[in-house]
Amino acid sequence: MSHKKTAFVFPPFASDYPDDPFTYLPGFDDCFRKFLGRAAEFTDADLINFKIPERTFLEDELKTQYIAYIQACSLVSWFKLKGIFPAYSAGYSMGIYAALYQSEVISFLDGLVMIRQAFREVTRVTGKDSFGMCAIIGLNRDDLEPLILREDDKIEIAIQNSVCSFSISGPAKNIRSLVEAAQGEGALSTRIFTITVPYHSSYLKDAAGNFDEFIAQIQFRNPRMPIVSLVDQEILLEEEMLKKEVVRNLFTSLNWYETQLYLQELGVNRFVECGSGKGLVKNARFIEGDAITMTANSYSASLNQ
Amino acid sequence: MATITDTTRKEVKEVVYNFFSEECEVDISGINDNTNIIKDIDGDSLMFLELIEIFKRKYNLDIELKTIGKYAVKHPVQTIGQLIDMQLLIIEHENKLLELDK
Repeated sequence: MSHKKTAFVFPPFASDYPDDPFTYLPGFDDCFRKFLGRAAEFTDADLINFKIPERTFLEDELKTQYIAYIQACSLVSWFKLKGIFPAYSAGYSMGIYAALYQSEVISFLDGLVMIRQAFREVTRVTGKDSFGMCAIIGLNRDDLEPLILREDDKIEIAIQNSVCSFSISGPAKNIRSLVEAAQGEGALSTRIFTITVPYHSSYLKDAAGNFDEFIAQIQFRNPRMPIVSLVDQEILLEEEMLKKEVVRNLFTSLNWYETQLYLQELGVNRFVECGSGKGLVKNARFIEGDAITMTANSYSASLNQ
Repeated sequence: MATITDTTRKEVKEVVYNFFSEECEVDISGINDNTNIIKDIDGDSLMFLELIEIFKRKYNLDIELKTIGKYAVKHPVQTIGQLIDMQLLIIEHENKLLELDK
């Protein structure tokens, strides 16, 4: 029997909801509705109206983060009830809050409050300026960097997803211009995200001070299982390290590619995407190694076989 | 520069059909050369990229993704049949693919 070391990985926000994403998780819907009800009570009453088939809130930047977090926490809770715990966890972008919940560093409600506060701070510092993000797929870093220079360094690599896949942040005008240039350079796929915040870029540095003060008031505990930093792939084992990570996560470039490679070095051979989508599953196909990346639904199905 | 034989053509077609059947969760009998990848079976550009990687490994191809990207801008692919034709050109010409347009 092969020994499987599993990492739970958490997506940042929902960009689409596939039909019936949790068919192999009996009772999950009740669990999710319970979490959703608490979230609606404490943060935004409108959340209770969320329905997957209606693609609710996809245009609302903050609510999609809430929903991704609530789904992730519900999945964590569902798996915990079955006695299933991962060896490691990692949160992609705003998925960090679900990773903290998974490792029992924060409570469910504190995670929601942190997401809300982070959003308030980043939108405060970006103000009325028009920012955005895009994905460029099919160019490597050497291809991309000259294009970034051409935009007077106004845009930044926010996340490296694989050797040839990047998320970019910056002013909306420069993002549009970069996408056009990248297509001309031979990018196989480009996509401008429907968000207005340049996440994981230096534009958000001014949000750090206030957010740091806010985080200081939140009760963190030492993690029950290690969380891996997407900034420098450090293993985060103490609450103070995690508080710093949450703050720098806002304005520092992340590297998902290196994180997934590093987790494989640590012996992880199975990644489970704890969300309704397949973004991290699809991306993993372009990351070297023998590890498999699967949805929570497929993972649950495989446990029953 | 590889020579495309009937066997290669058959292999490529088989890989492409099986790939989209599995990825898009559609029965293989529901796929033909005129199937529109995005509209009919909900495919996406990441799948295209993944197929390229599969063929790069299978045929040990020397080709940069951006070369394929530049070619694809001028020769956009919409159907399964067009995709198979492009994969065959990639296998045949590798990094010299863009010279086809000269």
